[in-house]
Amino acid sequence: MASEKELSDFLKSVERRAFKRTVYAVRDDEAALDIVQDSMIRLAGKYADRPPAEWPLIFQRILSNATMDWFRRQKVRNAVLSNFSDFESGNDAGDFDLLETLEAQDVSEGVESTANVVARNQTLRQIEEEVAKLPTRQREAFLMRYWEEMDVAETAAAMGCSEGSVKTHCSRAVHSLAKALKSKGITL
Amino acid sequence: MNYPIDRRPTSADVMALEARFGLRVAARLSDRTHALPHDITERLRSAREQALAKARPRLAAASAAVAVGGSGAATLAAGGSPADSWWWRLSSLAPLALLVAGLIWVHEFHRSEEIVAVAEVDAALLTDAVPPSAYADPGFAEFLKAPLDISVN
Repeated sequence: MASEKELSDFLKSVERRAFKRTVYAVRDDEAALDIVQDSMIRLAGKYADRPPAEWPLIFQRILSNATMDWFRRQKVRNAVLSNFSDFESGNDAGDFDLLETLEAQDVSEGVESTANVVARNQTLRQIEEEVAKLPTRQREAFLMRYWEEMDVAETAAAMGCSEGSVKTHCSRAVHSLAKALKSKGITL
Repeated sequence: MNYPIDRRPTSADVMALEARFGLRVAARLSDRTHALPHDITERLRSAREQALAKARPRLAAASAAVAVGGSGAATLAAGGSPADSWWWRLSSLAPLALLVAGLIWVHEFHRSEEIVAVAEVDAALLTDAVPPSAYADPGFAEFLKAPLDISVN
């Protein structure tokens, strides 16, 4: 049986990431806050008595739906849908080596720790910008898999697509991000 | 590419590299969430509290349902092992059996009392002298005319 404290702890653990994820999608802090609040209330009002283990998946689903509802209300659904199919061609990925990027990042890890706060914040902001630039489905899959730490099956369930699609979205998102960050000289 | 000639990256290698990169990006994104402005964190806290207020009736109802189910389970659990449960059922039936036996005894007692009383009245009637006025009764006259059918074993 779920308790109020468990629900509170869960919401506390996801609210900031949910807010940032939504900001990446809608690019509007106020709208993102409304969407997260609406999602929290929907979860609490309808699914509070469900086992806490089910909450993460349900919440991600609600958050995605609430974000889509926002886009519908903004009457830009067509633009969003065009983004959904805006997958990069795999042809240009052939000349890009993710391993080289990671190895370069390994070497530079010590340098990162000595970077000053301003530069670091600037770097983090650029990373966020690149994440926000990803096509919607790629970004959702990427963030659910690596930020929310959901497995492929959970992500597929939350996104309402197949596990193969999740893997494809994630792979393309990783390669796009790695390429964009490398072009900006950003190391992680 | 730094792989040996006889060791090309497998899909598992690529997936591992992707996961590693993805987790690093996620870690940087998490760093950013710790630095959210105060007004944003306050709005999120307020949203959380509103959500919890909405959840309270549902959680209370679920809690009550569990309590009812739990007490039922506790009652059943009081029986202990199956053998204990059997004796518990038997002992709970004993008062009922005693009540039924008592009712049967009372019923039989009253019946025997009635029989004894009727027998005493009959005996008194048969042994007493018939009053003269009885012979004026048409019914008694008919009784006397009827053949007496007494079989003796």
